Amino acid sequence: MSEAKRAWRRSKGALFALVAAVSLGLGLVVVAVLLITTGLNSWRLVAMRATADAGLSLSLRSLQASTGSQQAYYPYVVLAQVASNSRAEKLGLRQGDALIRVAGQGITRVSAVWEAVEQAPGGRDLRLPIAWVPNSRQLLGELRAEAIPNTPGRFRVVISTLPPGSPAEQAGLQTGDVLLSANDLSIMGTRQAWEAIVIATQRASGPITLQVERDSQILTLPFTAQQQGELTVQRAAWRALWAFVSSLNEPRYPEHAGLASAILGSLYVVFVMAIVAFPLGIGAALYLEEYASRSTLTEILQVLIANLAGVPSVVYGIIGLEILARAAGLGRSILAGGIALALLILPIMILAAREALRTVPPWVREAAYSVGATRWQTVRHHVLPYALPGIFTGMILTLSRAIGEAALLILLGAFLYVTYVPTNLKDSFTVIPLQIFDWATKPQEGFTTIAAAAILVLLGILLILNATAIALRNRFQMRW
Amino acid sequence: MVANQEEMRAVPSPATTQADSSILEARELSLWYGKQRALDRISLEVPEHKVTAIIGPSGCGKSTFIRSLNRMNDLIPAVRISGQVLFHAEDVYDRHVDPVEVRRRIGMVFQKPNPFPKSIYENLAFGLRVNGYHTRISERVELALRRAALWEEVKDDLRKKTGLDLSGGQQQRLCIARALAVEPEVLLMDEPCSALDPIATAKIEDLIHELKRDYTVVIVTHNMQQAARVSDFTAFFYLGRLIEFGPTAQIFENPSRKETEDYITGKFG
Repeated sequence: MSEAKRAWRRSKGALFALVAAVSLGLGLVVVAVLLITTGLNSWRLVAMRATADAGLSLSLRSLQASTGSQQAYYPYVVLAQVASNSRAEKLGLRQGDALIRVAGQGITRVSAVWEAVEQAPGGRDLRLPIAWVPNSRQLLGELRAEAIPNTPGRFRVVISTLPPGSPAEQAGLQTGDVLLSANDLSIMGTRQAWEAIVIATQRASGPITLQVERDSQILTLPFTAQQQGELTVQRAAWRALWAFVSSLNEPRYPEHAGLASAILGSLYVVFVMAIVAFPLGIGAALYLEEYASRSTLTEILQVLIANLAGVPSVVYGIIGLEILARAAGLGRSILAGGIALALLILPIMILAAREALRTVPPWVREAAYSVGATRWQTVRHHVLPYALPGIFTGMILTLSRAIGEAALLILLGAFLYVTYVPTNLKDSFTVIPLQIFDWATKPQEGFTTIAAAAILVLLGILLILNATAIALRNRFQMRW
Repeated sequence: MVANQEEMRAVPSPATTQADSSILEARELSLWYGKQRALDRISLEVPEHKVTAIIGPSGCGKSTFIRSLNRMNDLIPAVRISGQVLFHAEDVYDRHVDPVEVRRRIGMVFQKPNPFPKSIYENLAFGLRVNGYHTRISERVELALRRAALWEEVKDDLRKKTGLDLSGGQQQRLCIARALAVEPEVLLMDEPCSALDPIATAKIEDLIHELKRDYTVVIVTHNMQQAARVSDFTAFFYLGRLIEFGPTAQIFENPSRKETEDYITGKFG
């Protein structure tokens, strides 16, 4: 019995050390894995920004067609926008063109473009071989749908005007030709005619066969719809990051969407929070530590503050919504968000400031009083200055807590989608965590990538704040 | 060993004839920490321009007593006081008396040297400024440092070194200078040498001799030799009561109470 006890006493330290080491190791591994996956996910941002920088806005569409007896969807990537005076425009790309191949890779998804840009061999400046099908008007000119006699609901597609020099004219098509099929895809509508050519080109990787009816005769013409060129893209990581943090949000094109509104929203909200919470928190801490006599009331107050520090943030969100946004009429504004965050932070700030004040030894106060200083002079000239490094540390740690806060602001009704920079305290706003939440839940490709990038930006801001706190503490901490 | 209440009442009140005149006087001063009584009806007159030593075993209330003379105990929660402390015949515990003013006129030096973690100059200038001195600060700082016999050692580092950069003995003399800078009438010293080495202690003791000319000094000490060396009058405290008070020579050579004799001769303490 006592032998076992002694053995336990001997091995206790080693056991606890083992438990601590294992949990610490596991924690580090989890954090490392998270950081690495987030980093890998967000790396695609460089390729996304590179294509956006070249002038392309990509969008996914699909053709629903029947080949034989099968109904199938054929996805293709279309240029939703081409920026004017961009490198893409100079190459000849226009809005509505379909991307067929990038760096030798067939493109059927938007992310395939970014993947190709990301993986193409070469350095920062890249001459990217691309192939595309010009938009319907450039390729085929004006098309017209004519009802087929005796078969209601079916149409045939007729070329009504053919621009000179267009690929269709070069292939031998003429005005008045009826388009029947492209390879095995039959043509049943004006827009679908072009789409069928795009899909056929996409699948054939070369010239396709176009069936047309001319003067009641069926002709089979070889048709090259595809055009090729080299697009210069710059895979510049820092420029991509800067473009990401400095541009506004965009609901459709993740390669253009930026974090500027959210970063500024976060800064404004945290600024309001700091202005409200810091003076109140330090004041309350000074009162409790330096002025209040030890009475039942202050005891209750201290217990209340300690408990408030543990209240979940959604509860403060409800308070903010009911009292600030509705009753006080502040709405879903920066002001309401900042004050609600201040309520959340205040107890933590008070505890941190009290802790800092407690590190000032009592003999400092005695020394000041003994030369005839008043309580306020003692606090003002000695206690507060000596506690300030600790208070600063507390401030910065509460700041980083506030910057990462999402639940409270969701309940308060902060917007998820804001496409302007807030300039006024009455403006509505979004913050970085909410922006991450919004992007992470969007179904389109690419938004998860920028959500990962936003996570890294947020982590970077927090890292800077915490490093500042540690540096301040080490630099100015009093040693008694 | 514990004397009963009747005996305690028989303690002779300090004879005014022994002192030239009194500047500070405790009358029936009692003090409680919560429910525990730390001082029991102390009556003691502190003679002006003399050094009064307070001796006694640990926990006998000597520090508590000296701290209640300039209302330093106000800062400790749950302290209750009855009786009077007369300073120039005015009760410092009177409702109309400002404790800040009391502390300015009755300075204090503590057991552990407690300079502010600021420059030597600032250590002294702070007291001057909060007491409304705004002119000739440097002059006053120098004067106080000279009085505390520290000037020669620190005159080149007044603004370069902080109070905490000095040695223990220098720190304590800095604290004395800080107390002297605001020109108090009485200087209370609460075991000022207990944290110092013998050489630093000797310097402080010499200083106390010097200070006697201009100030009234009350010194609490653990060390009976020190009390014998520096003081003119000695009070012996035991279990929160004043057992005996008189000229130092008399207390050490011919104590009238058995407790005093036992303590002096080292039978306890």
